[in-house]
Amino acid sequence: MTPLSFRSPPPWVSRALVILLLLVLWEILGRMGSQLFFSPLSMVATSGVTIFADREVLEALRTTAWILAIGFGLSVCIGLVLGLAVAMSRFTYQTFLPVLLLLYAIPQITVLPIFVLYFGSGPASKIAFGVSHGLFPIAVSVVAGVQGIKPLLVTSAISMGATRWQIFRRITLPYLAPSLFTGMRLASTATLLGVLLAELYVSSGGVGHFTRRFGESFQPDKLYALIAALSLMAILINETMRMLERRFSRWT
Amino acid sequence: MTNETGRGAMAETLIKVEDVSHVFPAPDGGGEVIALEGIDIEIGRGEMVSLIGPSGCGKSTLLNVIGGMIAPSQGAALIGGARVRGPRPKEVAYIFQESALLPWATILDNIKVSLEFQKAPRATRDQVAREALKAVGLDAFATSYPHQLSGGMKQRAALARALSLRTDVLLMDEPFAALDEQTRMIFSEDLSRLLANERKTILLVTHSLAEAVFLSDRIFVFTSRPGRIKAVLEVDEPHPRSPAFMTSPKFNDLRNRLYELLRDEVLAAIGKDRQGLA
Repeated sequence: MTPLSFRSPPPWVSRALVILLLLVLWEILGRMGSQLFFSPLSMVATSGVTIFADREVLEALRTTAWILAIGFGLSVCIGLVLGLAVAMSRFTYQTFLPVLLLLYAIPQITVLPIFVLYFGSGPASKIAFGVSHGLFPIAVSVVAGVQGIKPLLVTSAISMGATRWQIFRRITLPYLAPSLFTGMRLASTATLLGVLLAELYVSSGGVGHFTRRFGESFQPDKLYALIAALSLMAILINETMRMLERRFSRWT
Repeated sequence: MTNETGRGAMAETLIKVEDVSHVFPAPDGGGEVIALEGIDIEIGRGEMVSLIGPSGCGKSTLLNVIGGMIAPSQGAALIGGARVRGPRPKEVAYIFQESALLPWATILDNIKVSLEFQKAPRATRDQVAREALKAVGLDAFATSYPHQLSGGMKQRAALARALSLRTDVLLMDEPFAALDEQTRMIFSEDLSRLLANERKTILLVTHSLAEAVFLSDRIFVFTSRPGRIKAVLEVDEPHPRSPAFMTSPKFNDLRNRLYELLRDEVLAAIGKDRQGLA
């Protein structure tokens, strides 16, 4: 075949082929090495069926899901308010943005024990740690979004008699929407990470507890089945956010 | 009523600028810049006035003082005898160099939001907006988004928005500057027709000599900074003005006089850069 006559297949075909190849590789590698740390795909799939019939595991998934939902909701509210407050004026922007970025840059895992001491070993510490991961991407995106507003739009609105609330409602919010959803997409995975880390550390329940248990008791098949379920959760949230992001940024 | 009566000192005065001076801090941090000094003008109802002068002579500042967007350091602007202390959305509408349309809203929604800002009665907003679009020939683009329109059409939409606000005064801050020349000429003709049909009082900040002569009843020529009024030219020609006016001896004569008046000021404004060359 000459290079000219070669037509690349549609993207979904090549993508599906790559994934298939990886799955086959997984199966082969899983059968070759020690089954203490790694399991072939076929075993993970059959374990998946059994662990998701396990009431305890289902309970853990449900626990993690609602902790994540609360954590994410709080991240959005706090992050939005914080971002708006920082972006409110030149003064607040110049004063507080560096502080915000500094806090964002801290590897938060180092302060996890303090979260647990303060919020206890129940769901509160997991929610709080999730929020501490989710709120910064949102706040920073909101600040960036507000900074991007064209001053002329505001000047024009003021000349037409717009009140502060009208400027916020008709200009700031719609202008902000795309960056807010970008922030929410980043925050959703960050919050999940925070929640899982806290669950791993405290290990009193939730998915994190089971990943630890399966890992330490050399049941990699179950571990990977659980990871697959978690990944699915993350992908679903991510894609929902991306849809919203696209929906609200059609005009850009 | 024809525009003939709306010109010059004979008409009822609508806008008055009394001894306005404006000083602002220099952008580089040191000292102050005197943008305007001792401006005293009167503009009659229905008059079309251009403000022309070198860059930085304060003509936009004067426009914003009249529009209530800037409080002058000294003096005051009056509209209909009342002192301007802030934006006057019921009396004054702006058209800027850029259309300032909200990118996420359709053209129709843009105008409706503006009417909401102005606190126009909710029930009539849709109808008023549609009529304004029709007046500028954009009714077919009511549901288009700004990014789908050309630069000229966007400015036309900005004009429709300004008209929909039904103000007596239109303030135009270099509204044609970003448009190509053909679009600019068509736009000027439309504006002249609008002047003949509606009794708007218009202040136009422009850098174009031809535009100023073609559109204005009076032209205020500014000095370079600090901005003062150097001369006032009258253009005695009824609206609507046709393209033929642009090739008439009268037009050329006025344009040349305007250039003579401006030349020294522009040279003075860029003088520092030129000294080395001279």
